[in-house]
Amino acid sequence: MKTNRRNFIKVSGAGSGALVLGFTLPGFKQKEAELFEPNAFLKITADNVVTIQAKNPEIGQGVKTSLPMIIAEELEVDWKKVIVEQAPYNSRLGSQFAGGSTAIKTNWESLRQAGAAAKQMLKMAASRKLNVPMNQLMAKSGEIINQQNQQKLTYGELVDMAASLGTPEDPPLKEAKDYNLIGTWQGGVDNEKLVTGSIDFGVDAKVEGMLYAAILKSPVFGGKVLSIDDSEALKIPGVKQVLQFEGLENPVWMIGGVAVIADSTWAAFKGKNALKVEWDNQGNETESSENLTNQFRDNTSKTGEIQLRTNGNVADAFNDADEILETEYEVPFLSHAPMEPQNYLADVKEDAIALNGSTQVPGSARFLASMVSDIARDNITAEMTRVGGGFGRRLLADYAAEAAKISKEIGAPVKVVWDREDDVTHDYYRPAGMYKFRVGLKNGSMSAWHINASTTSRYMYRGSSDSHHGTEVFPDGFPAGFVPNFKMEYTPVKTAVPTGAWRAPGHNATAFVDQSMIDEVAHALNKDPLKYRLELLGDGDKIMPYDDHGGPTYSTARLRKVLNKVAEMSNWDSNPPNGRYRGVAMHFMFGAYVAEVVEVSVQNNQPKVEKVYAAVDCGIVINRSGALNQIEGGIIDGVSITMNGAITIKNGKPEQSNFDTYKLLRMNEAPEIEVELIESAEHPEGLGEISLPPVPAAVCNAIFAATGKRIRKLPVSGSGLS
Amino acid sequence: MAKYQLNINNENVEVEALEDTPLLWVLRDNLDLTGTKFGCGKGLCGACTVHLDGNPIRSCSTPVSAIGKRKVTTIEGISANGLNAVQKAWIEEDVPQCGYCQVGQIMSATALLERKPNPTDADINSAMSGNICRCGTYVRIRKAIKKAAAG
Repeated sequence: MKTNRRNFIKVSGAGSGALVLGFTLPGFKQKEAELFEPNAFLKITADNVVTIQAKNPEIGQGVKTSLPMIIAEELEVDWKKVIVEQAPYNSRLGSQFAGGSTAIKTNWESLRQAGAAAKQMLKMAASRKLNVPMNQLMAKSGEIINQQNQQKLTYGELVDMAASLGTPEDPPLKEAKDYNLIGTWQGGVDNEKLVTGSIDFGVDAKVEGMLYAAILKSPVFGGKVLSIDDSEALKIPGVKQVLQFEGLENPVWMIGGVAVIADSTWAAFKGKNALKVEWDNQGNETESSENLTNQFRDNTSKTGEIQLRTNGNVADAFNDADEILETEYEVPFLSHAPMEPQNYLADVKEDAIALNGSTQVPGSARFLASMVSDIARDNITAEMTRVGGGFGRRLLADYAAEAAKISKEIGAPVKVVWDREDDVTHDYYRPAGMYKFRVGLKNGSMSAWHINASTTSRYMYRGSSDSHHGTEVFPDGFPAGFVPNFKMEYTPVKTAVPTGAWRAPGHNATAFVDQSMIDEVAHALNKDPLKYRLELLGDGDKIMPYDDHGGPTYSTARLRKVLNKVAEMSNWDSNPPNGRYRGVAMHFMFGAYVAEVVEVSVQNNQPKVEKVYAAVDCGIVINRSGALNQIEGGIIDGVSITMNGAITIKNGKPEQSNFDTYKLLRMNEAPEIEVELIESAEHPEGLGEISLPPVPAAVCNAIFAATGKRIRKLPVSGSGLS
Repeated sequence: MAKYQLNINNENVEVEALEDTPLLWVLRDNLDLTGTKFGCGKGLCGACTVHLDGNPIRSCSTPVSAIGKRKVTTIEGISANGLNAVQKAWIEEDVPQCGYCQVGQIMSATALLERKPNPTDADINSAMSGNICRCGTYVRIRKAIKKAAAG
């Protein structure tokens, strides 16, 4: 990103007895650059306290710790003494957003420059005070040291003078070899508050006079209210009011429902359950997973609506092939089910709104609150609490729109609280889909790869004008470019079942089908599955075009490196431990590379994932603990969806509603995990999603090694094997 | 509505609530003890775990009218002097990701260690499998429990 640095960093609050640098992080609209409005701050006070604001929402991905670490590294301060605060949403500027594993990669340069600029100013101030040249001074642990006589000035002693200086244009940045904080293992900055339960999540937000709202929505997707009998609900002590409201024009903004407003969460929940509502199902009561599977099968049996990639001629290659493998893979809808069910607090006054709650997109919350209230966005503030999990669900702010809508209608602050059933049955699910393969083999190698995919499309669901294949399949993903004849086609399916972004969108399905199919090819060719992948990648470093998020290219050498590393970690060339069977998978996504080996055991026809090895190259690692935590968590999530994850639709509604039917992995099912991070000086890349996509294929490839049964439809629990 | 005399974290309090109100919502809405979290409402995920006379229970599915004279301990009262061994181990192992389930995990782990100071992996599985962590911190939770046990 090109930034005019004079506009990018400035001294704020000069003469306040502190050095306060405001700076603008990516997302800042360039046309507004003349009007400098910082959206992040670094403050050093005379008493030597360093405060850094963390800009992005903390949803468990660790940015509240890792982003400030980048500033602290350049600033040369003792990390243990830095105070990290959550920045509120800035009312005019910028992208404060958690999604796409982007926080580190997009803020890396700016945060380094901000830290370096502050350090440079403190050095300049020391140079004047001590009357020694800059090059005689060094910064260390919050002090500027005169290297000739070891005289020291604390940052606090220098802030007044530093604040009177202009910001430097190109402060020198540290070299990677000199890092003493970046790459170290640091615990999360909120940990003490988290283990004592003393930090607020959205669900804990409270204001004076606040009421609670629970909302009943059409059990069948897309249904509308015909009639309401609220007599029983209104008899419940504490229930104040029942309010019907319409949805917005786009169902990803807000769907309508019937709200029960009460003076406690429990009364609101009880009231919701006591409502008797007749619904017009809009014809959607016939929708089912079976229907959708039939449509997927129908679509993948004919020419796709969208032709995404053609190399060579697959038809000729199939005519010429020694053998053709034909397979059909299928993945179900998945719910996000973050541990904190959706909730949001809105206080709509006559001409202003105060919002507060758990979201990955505070900007969208304001946008929607403005839409439902006709109050200008400039008059809407959004506080950000810690967020009890996102996984993509909180990229939509429908529940914030509900809170604003209800608060405006009743003229009081309202906290909308969803219960778990609301969360699971009114999610925006990972799209379900089918992937049909024909793969031609000729003279011991793969001569043709034809994938014909059909999925429900989240782009189609939200009425986006972007191509409906968007992020459901990836025309440049491996093995594209490594098979002489290649064809990829796609057909979207329209459905009332809501869909949205789910951790590693698209990749969570494509890595399963591609990396399973590669395994099938390796077995058909009688080759070792891991060595076959190395063979396909070939020697040297090919820079492959990759026209998607994480591109514009990827490196075959880096992919080979993680494969070789995981082979070494798992002793791939030796037999696995007794009773265990192995599978491998690899993936490139969002700029990072990962290879995984999974060991499973099978007892009484029940597969169990015993151990997962992962080798990951994400470039420079900021916080080692945070990075490992993300990778470990993505692996657990991956095992969970592989073994049990499925939302199935019957009569226009989901058959699952809580953790008894929508099962998440538990302690007794959790595998051992061993992770290695590849040492790298490459640009840091996001890690929040990358470890998940290879898991399903690696697990199912291991199950094949154990049982000879190929799992082509997830989850494993539906395969008759468990 | 009815009035209930409860002993919460060694203090006697009186609350007014519907008799079927789960203890969870009495703690959170009536008493502002918001460390205990809502996850599923059906005793399936463990986010709401508190101690009743020292035993871990799911406060989301325990009505306030069933508490009686038994002592309720929440995360706010789990350690009178600073952090307990489990909380310290949680910080040392950097267990939390989003952190939402961790209070429930800590309540279950603390009860486990009081019962079994040196738990086996099987003990950990049986005591902790009622607590879901959607972020997948199980590997670290297991390590932290063992660290807390080792003192």
